[in-house]
Formats: sequence, C-alpha cells, structure tokens
Amino acid sequence: MNASSFRKLKVALLCSLVAVIGYTFAGTVADAAQTKRQQPPASGKETPQQQIDPNDPSSVIYLDSAGKPAGIGDPNKPASEASRRHGWHPQALSAAGLPKDRYGLVDWAKLVRQNIISPKHSLDPGEEEAPPLKMDVVIPAKGDFVDDVIYPHEMHTYWLKSDVCHPQIFVPARGANEMTMVGIVKGDWCGRCHGKVAFPLTDCTKCHSAPKNKASKK
Amino acid sequence: MRPGLISFVAALAMALPGTGLAAAVGDIVLDSRSVSMGKAGVGPVVYPHALHEKLYKCAACHPKIFKEKAGATEMSMKLNMDGKLCGSPNCHNSEKAFPLYNCVKCHTKAGAK
Repeated sequence: MNASSFRKLKVALLCSLVAVIGYTFAGTVADAAQTKRQQPPASGKETPQQQIDPNDPSSVIYLDSAGKPAGIGDPNKPASEASRRHGWHPQALSAAGLPKDRYGLVDWAKLVRQNIISPKHSLDPGEEEAPPLKMDVVIPAKGDFVDDVIYPHEMHTYWLKSDVCHPQIFVPARGANEMTMVGIVKGDWCGRCHGKVAFPLTDCTKCHSAPKNKASKK
Repeated sequence: MRPGLISFVAALAMALPGTGLAAAVGDIVLDSRSVSMGKAGVGPVVYPHALHEKLYKCAACHPKIFKEKAGATEMSMKLNMDGKLCGSPNCHNSEKAFPLYNCVKCHTKAGAK
C-alpha cells in the first residue's frame, strides 16, 4: 500500500465518521473506501439499506469525544475505549443487567440505594452538598378507590435542589397544590419531570402505594 | 318443534346480552363510581365495546376478566392499577394498548368539576 492510497483511506475514514449512521461498525473501512470514489450517489443509495434499530444496542455505534467510533452498544462485546474512559452509554447501560421495575424500566432509585452509581452532586466543585431531606408526604388521592400517594422527599432531594420544584411547581405547604392525574399527564406538577426525564407514569402503584383507610371506602 | 327451538335460542340471546349470539353491543357507559370520579376531576367512562369486538374474541375477556352481565363486575381504578380488569397484563397495562395513565382516553369530561 503506497502513501497516497493510505492518505485516501484516511480521508475516507473521516467521511465515514461524519455519515456514521449509514454504516455498520464492521464494514467501516471497506465501505468508506467505496464511498470516497463515488461520493454523493453512493451515500444516498446505501443509507436506506442499513437501518438502525434503536432498540438493538448492538446496531448503534457510539463515538468518543473526539468523534471516533468508540464501540457498539452491545454489552456482550468487550468494553470499548469509550466505556473505559467515559462510562457506559445510556443505551448500553439499560441492557447491562441493571435493576429494573416490573415494566422493564431502569430503576434509578434502586441503583442509588444499592450504591451501583454515585453521581457527583454538582458540576461546580466548590458547591457544598446538601444532605437529602428525609420527609415523606402522603398526598391523598382524590378518587375514593385509588391508593394514596407517598411522596419521598429523600430520593428527590438526592437528585435535585429544593428550588427546582419550590415554589414554582409546588407551593411548599401541605394541601396547597390542587394536583390532578389529568393535569399530571398533561405535564403539570409531577408530570413536569415524570415522563420526560424521570420514570414515566406507566406504573401507577409506584406512587399510589398507601392504601386508603377501609372506613373511607364506601 | 323447530319454531319453538328458534324462539328458545332467541330468548336465550335476549336473556344473555353480550354472548356471541347477541353481538352488536354499542358503547357501554361505566358510571357506578361517578361520585369518586367527580372528586378526581373526571367523568364517566364510555367503553367502546364494538371496537374491542373487532380486535379480540369474546372469550379473551368473557367471562374470565369481565362477567357478561352489565354491572355485575366490580370495577375501580385501584383494581385496574393492580393488574385486573382493563389493566390486565395483556391489556391496558402492556405495550399492546395505551397505558392507564392516559385518563382522558376513557374518562369523559376530564377537568370538569
């Protein structure tokens, strides 16, 4: 292999990184060399052939911070450079045998309680960490037949500061918030985070967990 | 003999609405918990029986999950949440159907007080 073809190959490799969606990890070099020779039509042709299934971690290629392929999201394959340097990608993470709830969603609270992860409390190293607030609030369910909600401050203040929620989203006084499930589903109150960045509303009993008094059931 | 048998079958079909013989069950309004629903800010459920008939066989729900007789099955959101009735593991508690938290898909007049 002479120097000019090697340079060509290098350029081709870079191109393939930009259009990484279209290629499988295994065929990168060969594909990239081909694309270089017949550039625009080839990329148009090849993209639809190799479809990426977002639910199959092994079909997704992850790039490291320098934009180089760092590996695929298959937990059965050996750890890539990226996982050694930067930790697991979320998609590979969810497939890697983490504790899950009965709906198959990663149980982040369990991860914290079992000390599987210990995230930094702030990006600012100078900031002092406030200890979690150990206060459960019972929020009575409006309907007569639904269990009441136990809201754990502890797990929430583990992740968040109190001014994330108070007083804009929740007035910090018992019973002062007219919450409804319909509103939460629409994205108010708990729905500001749950269903977006926190676990979704799929498992009703995760929150509605405190049985009402039998006396109040009529 | 024969007309008698036919009238017997017809009588049976009328006596047992919801069986295979008496198809065409329209929307069923479920409002036995209307007081509680009112507190929760939602209205009665309108259950589209015809839609479910198209998708599933009668035996998928009757009589194991729901009794055929109207009003005979005790229903509540609590039971749905616990994986019974509408929230059975293959129904509105699975990926096959929309989830239970989608209140307004079943409950009418959401937000009304």
